[in-house]
Amino acid sequence: MSDDINTRAEEPQGVETRPSIEETTAPQKGKSPWLAALLGLIPGAGHIYSGATSRGVALLFFIPTMVGLSFWRRHVAEINPLAGISEELLILLLAIMGVVYIWSIWDAYRTAAGRPMPLRLLLVLGALVTYIIGWDVTEINLQKAVSEIGDVIPRLSQLAWPWDEAFVRGVEVTEARAPVEVPCDETPPLPPEEIPGEPYIMVSPTCGEESGPVSPTGQRQLGTELQVIGRGFRPGEEADVIWRDPIGNEYRPRATGEVVKVVPNENGSFAFTMVIPSLIMPEVAEGVQTHYVIVRQEREVGELRPSRNLLLALEKMAETIFLGLMATTFGIVLAIPVSFVAARNLMSGSTVTMVIYYVVRFILNIVRSIEPLIWALIAVIWVGLGPFAGVIALTLHSIAALGKLYSEAIESIDPGPIEAIQATGANPLQVVVYAVIPQVIPPFVSFTIYRWDINVRMSTIIGAVGGGGIGFLLMQWIKLSDYDAAGIAVWFIAITVSILDYVSAQIREQFV
Amino acid sequence: MLRVEHLTKIYETGTVALRDVSFEVQEGEFLVVIGLSGSGKSTLLRCINRLVDPTEGKIFWNGIEITALKGRELRKVRREIGMIFQQFNLVKRSSVLTNVLSGRLGYVNPLWSLINYFPKEDVERAMKAMERVGIADKARNRADELSGGQQQRVGIARALMQEPKMILADEPVASLDPVLAHSILGYLEEINKRDKVTVICSLHYLDLVQRYATRVIGLREGRIVYEGTREDIRALTDEQFKDIYGEEAQRLGSITGEEAA
Repeated sequence: MSDDINTRAEEPQGVETRPSIEETTAPQKGKSPWLAALLGLIPGAGHIYSGATSRGVALLFFIPTMVGLSFWRRHVAEINPLAGISEELLILLLAIMGVVYIWSIWDAYRTAAGRPMPLRLLLVLGALVTYIIGWDVTEINLQKAVSEIGDVIPRLSQLAWPWDEAFVRGVEVTEARAPVEVPCDETPPLPPEEIPGEPYIMVSPTCGEESGPVSPTGQRQLGTELQVIGRGFRPGEEADVIWRDPIGNEYRPRATGEVVKVVPNENGSFAFTMVIPSLIMPEVAEGVQTHYVIVRQEREVGELRPSRNLLLALEKMAETIFLGLMATTFGIVLAIPVSFVAARNLMSGSTVTMVIYYVVRFILNIVRSIEPLIWALIAVIWVGLGPFAGVIALTLHSIAALGKLYSEAIESIDPGPIEAIQATGANPLQVVVYAVIPQVIPPFVSFTIYRWDINVRMSTIIGAVGGGGIGFLLMQWIKLSDYDAAGIAVWFIAITVSILDYVSAQIREQFV
Repeated sequence: MLRVEHLTKIYETGTVALRDVSFEVQEGEFLVVIGLSGSGKSTLLRCINRLVDPTEGKIFWNGIEITALKGRELRKVRREIGMIFQQFNLVKRSSVLTNVLSGRLGYVNPLWSLINYFPKEDVERAMKAMERVGIADKARNRADELSGGQQQRVGIARALMQEPKMILADEPVASLDPVLAHSILGYLEEINKRDKVTVICSLHYLDLVQRYATRVIGLREGRIVYEGTREDIRALTDEQFKDIYGEEAQRLGSITGEEAA
């Protein structure tokens, strides 16, 4: 860049339009500014003519793309009233793009004259249009995010503190049941036999009519009144009264809105009356059906012990860590030989080795660019659901990722020590052991630990598509809306990943 | 003891590093090679122990044609020729002791050496070599914990482990300050005088050349443009000096050692 160009740029147009040094190009010899402006009617063409190829190509793509996207979002709005942009917004976007268009023609003229415009205005307008469209395409809705936050808070709080469900006590159940037939026929059932020492209830009569549905006036036909007496229960402890239909559904009849409960006296006996509730029976259930009245006392006994979900989560967490470990190990073992043939400095010897180098590099890049999640989907088809599929998926990805990192570590070693060891008369194997390996160990260890870290984190996700591990469990629990259990899984993942992160940082520090 | 005949080296990139270089070295000489960066000094030294394969020409070492050797025979010659580098070329993460012992790799049982086992007498030899250059107390340190001057002394100790008949020193002091430069060259001179080890050393500073060389070769663009004794170089005229260092060169101080060869 010579001085006369810089002085040309110093035109009295104020600070705003004065090009900075990098934006100043030499006046294009034989390029006519007016022809550039004319060509500029096609966005970018004028710039390409003037030699500002990258700016020209950018404009050539940017202007039509943004105009096209604007019309697309308007079209979406016509089909789906909840998405897309309004007529007014479309006009605004087109107006902005119009300014950009005129700017590009003017800039084409100036570029040909060797004084291109500063990019500031273009960047601001371009960003404005891009973000307006981006906001709309991704259906961002802040109002919704605020107004519906109530839905997520109970779930979040369950996820945040799931430990109430993690430990439970054993339950001791004291219960007795007696049959009731609805409706009555010629042979009502006999009361159950009393076994001494066991809790016992007797209902009379042993058959009757159910309550009718609630009429619009709030009245209902009450069913048969049953006299229930019981003995052999734990004195003074509240007992639940339960109605159990022939299908096995249990529910708790209500009297005047309250759930029926009974407290046995000091001898463990009680007596109360209840009405046969309104029963919801499927229409196919014709004729006489046997129901049961159940009186049940429950109390927690014994020590707190881990719940089933907690144990399951622990088990799957262990599975996940080992899944990551196995995948990393297989990855290392296979990546090391691959990395040597993917290292340019080792393969530059002949044409054959260079071809191998390029082929291996190409395959590595392809494999690496496919996410482990997708490999997991493929592996599930291959070996079925379970952790093995996850191991395969993560191994494939690890080979590619580590192979690339290792080979780059090999490529970047200092050739000096190799030269020095060769000069001592060492054989090639000794050269590798004394000059190459000491240099690649630190990066290899560092990359490997990092990979294990990644693999354990990944394996929590891999599970979601059937690759085993805790992710599988987590997805299941979320689908079953068991957020307490899911919370336990989330906690385990967070704890494990944090520990691993800390440990791997420590190990890396030791080696690097 | 060393005879170089019509040596030419053309790199794959087309760079001609050496053109028809011939000279002889007698036992016990301290031969200094001078020349600008890129004049071919490093290539010349590396051709002698075949770290670089010459394109044409022959090198004879005590009657053996080095340029024709392969594999085991080549390694046998290499272990008799120690080498010291501008960037020291130590394995930075290994201990000083391991670096020094690696100078013995051409002699020891290859299998034992792979698990870093060296015979007792070699370890003693290493301790003596380190004492000789004043770094015995650093034996267990990692090489990269040492200062530049100390690292170059490790390099000398490593070369001593080879029980060399000749030492090639490729700008051994170009990365060091003048005081350290004298100290390092002092060790080389002592080895040269006391052990009768031939030294071929490339240098940048003319005052160092005048102080240490017994004979001087000047290279320019791959050709020998000057050959003289210590007395000759003390009497070097500016014209002769320009022949070696090119038109823009000035005598002494202006030639810095920072540029890599």
